[in-house]
Amino acid sequence: MNVNDSRGIIFNIQRYSIHDGPGIRTTVFIKGCPLRCLWCQNPESHLSRPIVFLNSERCTGCGTCLQACPRNAISLIEGASKTDRNRCNGTGNCASSCPNQARTLIGRSVTAHEVFSEVNADAIFYETSAGGVTLSGGEPLSQPDFAISILKQCKQAGIHTAIETCGYAEWNTLRRVLEYTDLVLYDIKHMNPEAHKEYTGVSNHLILDNIKKVCAVMKLPVFARIPIIPQYNDSERNVLETAEFIACHLGKSVSVHLLPYHRFGEAKYQRMEAPAQSVRIIPPDDAHMERIADVIRSFGLQVFMS
Amino acid sequence: MDLRIPILKKSIDVEKYPLCTQKSRLITESFKHTDGEPMILRRAKAFDHVLKYINIFIQDYELIVGNTASKPMGLEFDFYAGLWSQDEIDGLKENGYDITREEEAEILQMNQYWSAFNPLKRMGLLFGEPLWLLMQSGTILPPWKSREQGSGGGYAESGMGLGPGFHILTVDFENVLRNGLNQIISRAQDELRKLRYRSIESLEKAAYLKSVVIAHRAIIGFAERFAALADETAARTTDLGRKRELEKIARTCRRVPAGPAVTFYEAMQSFWFIFLMITPSPVASLGRFDQYMYPFFKKDIDGNETSEKEVLELLQCLRIKDMQINRTSGRQARQKNAGMAKWHNMVIGGVTPEGDDATNELSYLILEALALCPTPHHTVTVRVHENTPEDFMIKALRVVRTGIGMPAFVGDRSYIAYLLGEEIALPDARNYALGGCIDATVVGKSRIASYGMFVVTKVLEAALYNGIDPRTGVQLGARTGQFTDFGTFDDFMKAYKAQLEYFLELHADKNNIELLVSRELFPDPVRSSLMLGGISEGRSLLDRTFPFENAAVMNPVGMINVVDSLAAIKKLVFEEKKVSRQELLDALSANWTGHRYSEIRRLLLAAPKYGNGDDYVDILAKDLFEHWADTAVKFKTVFNGTHKPTGVSISAQWPGGLLTGATPDGRCAGECLADGSVSAMRGADTNGPTALLNSALRIDQTRYQATLLNLKFLPSSLKTDEDLRKLSCLIQTYFRHNGKHIQFNVVNETILRNAQKQPEKYRDLIVRIAGYSAYFVHLDAPIQEEIIRRTEHAKVG
Repeated sequence: MNVNDSRGIIFNIQRYSIHDGPGIRTTVFIKGCPLRCLWCQNPESHLSRPIVFLNSERCTGCGTCLQACPRNAISLIEGASKTDRNRCNGTGNCASSCPNQARTLIGRSVTAHEVFSEVNADAIFYETSAGGVTLSGGEPLSQPDFAISILKQCKQAGIHTAIETCGYAEWNTLRRVLEYTDLVLYDIKHMNPEAHKEYTGVSNHLILDNIKKVCAVMKLPVFARIPIIPQYNDSERNVLETAEFIACHLGKSVSVHLLPYHRFGEAKYQRMEAPAQSVRIIPPDDAHMERIADVIRSFGLQVFMS
Repeated sequence: MDLRIPILKKSIDVEKYPLCTQKSRLITESFKHTDGEPMILRRAKAFDHVLKYINIFIQDYELIVGNTASKPMGLEFDFYAGLWSQDEIDGLKENGYDITREEEAEILQMNQYWSAFNPLKRMGLLFGEPLWLLMQSGTILPPWKSREQGSGGGYAESGMGLGPGFHILTVDFENVLRNGLNQIISRAQDELRKLRYRSIESLEKAAYLKSVVIAHRAIIGFAERFAALADETAARTTDLGRKRELEKIARTCRRVPAGPAVTFYEAMQSFWFIFLMITPSPVASLGRFDQYMYPFFKKDIDGNETSEKEVLELLQCLRIKDMQINRTSGRQARQKNAGMAKWHNMVIGGVTPEGDDATNELSYLILEALALCPTPHHTVTVRVHENTPEDFMIKALRVVRTGIGMPAFVGDRSYIAYLLGEEIALPDARNYALGGCIDATVVGKSRIASYGMFVVTKVLEAALYNGIDPRTGVQLGARTGQFTDFGTFDDFMKAYKAQLEYFLELHADKNNIELLVSRELFPDPVRSSLMLGGISEGRSLLDRTFPFENAAVMNPVGMINVVDSLAAIKKLVFEEKKVSRQELLDALSANWTGHRYSEIRRLLLAAPKYGNGDDYVDILAKDLFEHWADTAVKFKTVFNGTHKPTGVSISAQWPGGLLTGATPDGRCAGECLADGSVSAMRGADTNGPTALLNSALRIDQTRYQATLLNLKFLPSSLKTDEDLRKLSCLIQTYFRHNGKHIQFNVVNETILRNAQKQPEKYRDLIVRIAGYSAYFVHLDAPIQEEIIRRTEHAKVG
């Protein structure tokens, strides 16, 4: 297969991205994620296929979408359209026919070359700022061949490449992607395997094994990214264990990036016609973030805040 | 004295601006005694009369003296740009200006005297029929009501000069600071002695030189009045500290601007007196202040004559002084330049005439003064080149982050390339300053005296309607054919270009008429003598040709709406044929009302829009800007130069929009046009700043004297120095590829709160949040709150 022809599903390309690696970057959000973190603020990224957002405030109940849907997944209830999410397979006909833009399709199928072309449009900005491309998600490893194809084309054009990953993939898959990667932004969510399983749906064994190999075998520069989720992973014990793991097993060249929990994704659950998140988390304040940073710094690690 | 700046700042915070008549009364008195003399002498004598008798005062705590009007924070009526009718005076009162009954009566009386000198009337009577129709249509803003009254309403401004205000130039401040006015006077006297009367011009030259002597003596006399007043006040003052300050003021005003400034303080005072004399002008340029003031700064700092703290205080005093220069105008011009707009531009940084980095300690202190005293004026613009120090950029961006919209940034590469294209010598090109909003000026060697706001969407309408203005039914343009008869997009494009050429030829006539009338009525000995060769040439600045001969410019308002409209027509009418030619015209005249028409509007809105790095439309932008530039330079000015293309819409996009019906880019009738000149239409750029800049870089900006680009940012993307460093890279990239100008709107909490309350006014407000960007007003209330909460974190610092 020609690498340029590799297709995948993305849900956003963010240009002038300044918090996903060095310099001015373009971040490509690839759909699909193997984890289901309780605090997830990007639920639209979970499935690899496109999904539909419904903004019920804009829906007038005109019924145009009912006709458009090939799978009869939409019904009118009390003058408003509702989607049977089990039937919907994300064709998006409802979105393109909606006269009020109440429905939008999240996710589109594109070729790796199309993605590359958009990334390459900002080449002059990468050059001045030492920036490049970052593949994020979802999880870029959920569409590995597509990811490789994008990264390969970028590298060939001299663009610096980074991936942002949760690390939950077969080592062999990860390794293949890393061959075209200059920098890895690697999420570490929790050190305790049981807690990790409870909060994200999977254990952290594979994740922690993989990051060790990224550092030891591939010898790639790594940013360890730690989301700070109050009540879940911000206990002193977990912070200490995380810092110790990084300092002792990965090395002090790994910089630590703390990402405070935010709630920008709350409304997305409504738009997916899903129940609201069961957990209610208050974003951490600056003082708390600073305390955590200090603990990590005491291990001789460099800490950055986003 | 740490209270000084807060107290002075308080003094400029007035509820109502007093309108004054003393200055025009003095001018009128003088004029009545000089009937029959050459105009330039009459003006010099009137200027002298004003400076001898106008009220002067020194405010408590002031270090730099020289009041701007006969009352504090006052505006003096003047008549150089039109008369003041009862209706216009009432309009001012409605808008909260203070005016007494006696003064009102006085103005109406002076109107009668000045109607003989009314430049608008003189211009109006010279307009041929097609041009007259164009002026009535408002295509060159603002619309004219009658040949006698123009657009109605004059100006009221502060400043001691005689104007007229809208001359865009940078005088040679350095010469005055270093040599003093006495030297100019003696040089003029020498020239007079040498003068032999063997040519027609010799009489004019004599009058000019005499007027220069009168004017500069008047300025020195004015400074002496302040010296005397400072002495008197000192004698009455019991506070010893203030007494010493006043004595120093008196000493200083006796030395400058008559003689050369020796200290930094004297240079500041000398500068201010000269600046007062080149105003009233909303477009007075402060030039490369950090360059010509630096030797005085350096000498005083090295010799421990002053400290950075004292310099910082004086720089803040200057900001406050500039806030005392105010301006208002008739209703229509008030609309064209929203608020009390003025463009007192100080440029800092950039390269030296030799090409090295020119940034110095004073450049940093000017930014510091801006941060400490964030008044809207004077404007500060940073000249950026490849070796501009990064910490200087970051310091400037920290000020930007506070949300005051300053400083703006301009790219040396593009400006210098433009001037080299105009065959300006490299050292002069490198020494450019900014006049007006952001137009290139060569210090002492160029002046713009005709600067119009041309509503280019009216040309698009002419192309759509065979030359007829759809608003009035008047045949405004050429007959280029019915839209329904155009077989291809190229045919339509040809019609548009033909219309533009027709309109701009008329525009050139208007500009030249304006230049000729100004030349006759407003010879200005002060500014003329402060230009290069001001004495040796022996001519007023509207009576000679300059090395950079840019007397008149052509400036399109709404070009991006034309670009987007042409792209939409190309795609939907001629390529995809989803909208028929007749349907488009019908939809436009229905202003999109009706089911099918709103469907058409949706299709048009979805067509490619400028600002997204999409070549389909960006190529058209490139083409149209090039065509505008090519056309402008075809038309000569009366000074033997050509018209210069520029691109600065100020706030003319609003009245321009009111005059334009619905446009094929999906814009509604009357809606505001796109701002700046290479900014995208509000809300049309949805791919972030790099995409917008990529679009703007498709346009060859080195052909333009100025272009303007606005970017909006949320403070959350400007939180850390690292964020600012990346923004600096964004600016550097744009300039490296010949972008000309960027300014930033940093959205603050107040704006976001207003957007929540009045979403219809903030439809274009884009906020960038984790992983995606969105229109703020489309976000759910809780997310809006979350964003506002984040915004609060971005503190000044």
